[in-house]
Amino acid sequence: MISLTVNQKTYQLDVDPEMPLLWALREVIGLTGTKFGCGVAQCGACVVHLNGEAIRSCVTKCDRANHQNITTIEGLSMDNSHPLQLAWNEENVPQCGYCHSGQIMSAAVLLRENPNPTDRDIDDAMAGNICRCGTYPRIRKAIHLAAKLNGGKGNEK
Amino acid sequence: MKYENQKTGYEKTLILFVISLAITFMALGLNVAKTPSISKIPTKIIKDSLASVTAFKKVYRVLMSPRCMNCHPAGDIPLQGDDSHLHTMSPKRGSEGKGLYAMKCANCHQPGNSPGLHTPPGNPNWHLPPANMKMIFQGRSPDQLARQIVDKKQNGHKNLQQLIEHADDGLVLSAWNPGEGRTKPPLSHSEFKRAWIEWLNKGGYAPKKL
Amino acid sequence: MEEISRRHFIASATTAGLALWLGLTSEGNLYKAIDSASVNFSPFILIEANGQITLFNTKPEIGQGTFQSFPALIAEELEVSLDQVIIKQTNGEYQFGNAQRSGGSASIRNSYLPMRKVGAAAREVLIKAAAKTWNVIESECFAQKGSITHAPTQRKLSYGSLIEEAAKFDLPENPKLKDPKDFKILGKMSKRPDIPLKTNGSAEFGIDAIVPGMLYAVVYRSPVIGATLVSYDATEVLKIPGVVKVGTAERIVGVYRYTGVAIIATSYWIANQAKEKLVTHWDNHGFDKFNTRDYEAHLRTLANQTGIVEKAVGNVDDVNLPPESYLEAFYETPIIAHHALEPLNCTAQVNGDRVEIWTSTQVSSAVTGKGAGDMHGQIGFTPENITLHSLFVGGGFGRRLSMDYIVEAVNVAKLVEQPVKVIWSREDCTQQGPFRPMTFSKLKGGISAQGALISFEHKVISPSLQQSRDSTFDPSKVDLAMMEGISEQAYEIPNMRNSYVRADLHIPISPWRSVTSSTVSFAQESFIDELAYQAKKDPMDFRLEHLKKTSDAKKVLLKLKELSNWETKLPKGSGRGVAVWEFFAGLGGQVVEVTCHKDKTITINRVIAVIDLGEVVNPDNVRNQMEGSVIMGLGAVMKGGINFVNGKVAEHNFYDSPLLRINEIPKIEVHILTDGGKVKGVGEPGLPPFAPALANAIFAASGKRFRKLPFELRL
Repeated sequence: MISLTVNQKTYQLDVDPEMPLLWALREVIGLTGTKFGCGVAQCGACVVHLNGEAIRSCVTKCDRANHQNITTIEGLSMDNSHPLQLAWNEENVPQCGYCHSGQIMSAAVLLRENPNPTDRDIDDAMAGNICRCGTYPRIRKAIHLAAKLNGGKGNEK
Repeated sequence: MKYENQKTGYEKTLILFVISLAITFMALGLNVAKTPSISKIPTKIIKDSLASVTAFKKVYRVLMSPRCMNCHPAGDIPLQGDDSHLHTMSPKRGSEGKGLYAMKCANCHQPGNSPGLHTPPGNPNWHLPPANMKMIFQGRSPDQLARQIVDKKQNGHKNLQQLIEHADDGLVLSAWNPGEGRTKPPLSHSEFKRAWIEWLNKGGYAPKKL
Repeated sequence: MEEISRRHFIASATTAGLALWLGLTSEGNLYKAIDSASVNFSPFILIEANGQITLFNTKPEIGQGTFQSFPALIAEELEVSLDQVIIKQTNGEYQFGNAQRSGGSASIRNSYLPMRKVGAAAREVLIKAAAKTWNVIESECFAQKGSITHAPTQRKLSYGSLIEEAAKFDLPENPKLKDPKDFKILGKMSKRPDIPLKTNGSAEFGIDAIVPGMLYAVVYRSPVIGATLVSYDATEVLKIPGVVKVGTAERIVGVYRYTGVAIIATSYWIANQAKEKLVTHWDNHGFDKFNTRDYEAHLRTLANQTGIVEKAVGNVDDVNLPPESYLEAFYETPIIAHHALEPLNCTAQVNGDRVEIWTSTQVSSAVTGKGAGDMHGQIGFTPENITLHSLFVGGGFGRRLSMDYIVEAVNVAKLVEQPVKVIWSREDCTQQGPFRPMTFSKLKGGISAQGALISFEHKVISPSLQQSRDSTFDPSKVDLAMMEGISEQAYEIPNMRNSYVRADLHIPISPWRSVTSSTVSFAQESFIDELAYQAKKDPMDFRLEHLKKTSDAKKVLLKLKELSNWETKLPKGSGRGVAVWEFFAGLGGQVVEVTCHKDKTITINRVIAVIDLGEVVNPDNVRNQMEGSVIMGLGAVMKGGINFVNGKVAEHNFYDSPLLRINEIPKIEVHILTDGGKVKGVGEPGLPPFAPALANAIFAASGKRFRKLPFELRL
């Protein structure tokens, strides 16, 4: 049995410990906000927080997550009110929207560790997340805005 | 500059190694607990510059192979693949060598190799050298690399004994378990280790050229 | 059967009680019904007695913003705000006709007036109903925020309370549309209602469908495109715990039919791993000898053929300029994949003679439609027995105009009683096609002694999209899809001959965002630049000199000239390039400014993108689309294409078929022209001008001309 605490709720799952966390979240628990994009840690659509770190659930085995704390996009806030979610809405960031669960979960770690990221910091944090629609200019703007909403100065040039 | 077969200065520090052992291990943050003990290997120096340099030629081939060099880049972005191209998603070293923000090494690199081709290779301790001790291999000549490795100011404060033990470090060993589709270093681990110890025990000489 | 389908739609759309439906007949006439049983037209508006207002969006939301922009057209005239209505995505229901599709940047340009009329007609009868109820004159009543107000007395009646009375009035044939100065939604910054769903994980994409009892499947398809399955052995696969069934499933892509081996299991992960244990034997029919490199050489040889003339103006053969007045060039572009981030997927449940489908598609009405080209004929179900759930689309770009993955999933679902979700791996998406075809272009231009372009020839050498998609295509004819835009440019050139040389190809091909304009624009607008230099003219001036008449393209160029400060000189090593492109989807132009550095790297300082729309619905969304188009265009320039080696695609996933990342994008400035005129599309026109504008900028900065895509930003 694998025990996962996801968004503060604990699940006992009868799954192969080798199964990537992504599929346990999506298919077994039914949390589909976390997306499958590439399966090989290239695109970042599957990013969730494992004990606060923005891990890629498509290559992270359930075994590594066993008895650990996981936060998915569904648990980032109760009501879409995380500064990043507010900023994403304010800047109309998504187009198709498929990558943005992962984008937001990656950006959340950036803001936690660096409340006033520069454009360079944003590149350093976000170059692992692919957006095929090309919403990158807005992702950048929204992260700067979220930093401001969070009480930071915002470093937008 | 002349430093052909120039003797390196670690013999002096050898005396002190017992004292410094505990301290440096803590400071380095090496995964000491998982490193098998090889302290029985004699660390007696029998200086032999010819044999030492000959051994280093083998060592150099391994260290400059993609499996070692890719995580000892000249810049702050690791390298990837058998062609040692820049890591395509541009993760940065970070002060501790463990990446930055949402791009920490362990976010993709698991405790073990991920199955399949082109998936992230893994190790529990996957990281680059830290920002204050970059231990760059990329672009180093044999002479430069040999001198760098035995310089405590550039090698992570390792003395001879620790350098020898480093051959069995978990992350070093992972070069020989690179995951599907990646070539291993040009020597087996035991050949490498033999050459490594030979090079160091014969005086850690730096060859002018190979 | 239609009756059952209709009742099902009505029941799922309404709550209870009386409802007013208002929309268009298939002939495009306004129509309404208060009796649900009479809803035999496309009801774009549903107003219920309880006050609930539903607007139907027939255009699948693929990221282009129709989930907001399409209902916005109705809401503007109906005088409701988008946050007081429910927006429902249609699912290919027959009532909504065969235009339930997102493609060709067509959603708004085809719906701008019709949907406004629907909203305006509803507003008119609601006002009439209120006036009648109060026994006042109509001109004293106005509509606002879902209610009618009697201005002198400030009495109010909600739309819901008026539906019964409103239904008694005949709909106006030509309802009065609002004056654009009174617009509250159109042309303003307005929020897309799908965005909140896309920031908290609640947006349901095709791949997110959860159907009780669902199984998961992968399909192993021949790595050699064109091979046929001879046999397979699933003995080892069936031993794997969790594997439920193995069987064959056919996929139809245009004129091609492929059979793969489906592995059905209790999870995608199990099914995908089980592929490793599957033993298959294929007849490659010699296609394993196919290499892109050889094929490209073949296309270069074909370039010497005369080709079939698509359009001739004047007579290029009679121009007779001295040889040194002519310039010739050859341009090449690669095959590329669509790489929508949501992998192809489809969930299907077969129940006797019925099938229910959950997927992300650009063509809902083709999945359920009755037309000869619609999907029913490919899966063996009558159209009435196909139920579709059209979910959010995680990227279309033309790939989801094809229904092959839906056909295949239905065939997989036939193997079991349970619903099955078929998911393509990223490698499947990269390698199996259909792909955007390459085009090669041979160009020739002649410049008069006065520096005027008086002779122009563009010959396209390429495989044929139509031949790949339509078995009735006559290969002796020009494939107009492969000549897209070439003869439509506004340049006034007295002698022109554009022609086509078709090359056979066994690989399925399909449109890719901006279709053939994504490749031939690179050749043509780069070559126009080359001709400008041949004529010793500034490339901007040269273009404008050939646009003496008023045209939208001229307007775009003049705006670009102004925005880019074209006439100010840049420092040595820097340069500007311009390109403009008009085609069926719309019109855009761009100026790119680059700097070439001593280390031979090239940086893009800024991209100025102008799009001419005529009318704009959501300007911020248009900017988002334009930014995305430039980035997609830059990706197509910088990142490699799809290459075949021994019949197989050499690329696999984003590590060897990469996409642009956030650290690689330039600064992009967007300007929207909305001074009336023809309403044009948004989703695609931002793409074609980028590559030639970039190549032209690099030439201006360095003197180096790039004539082959992809290329690195390096001299």
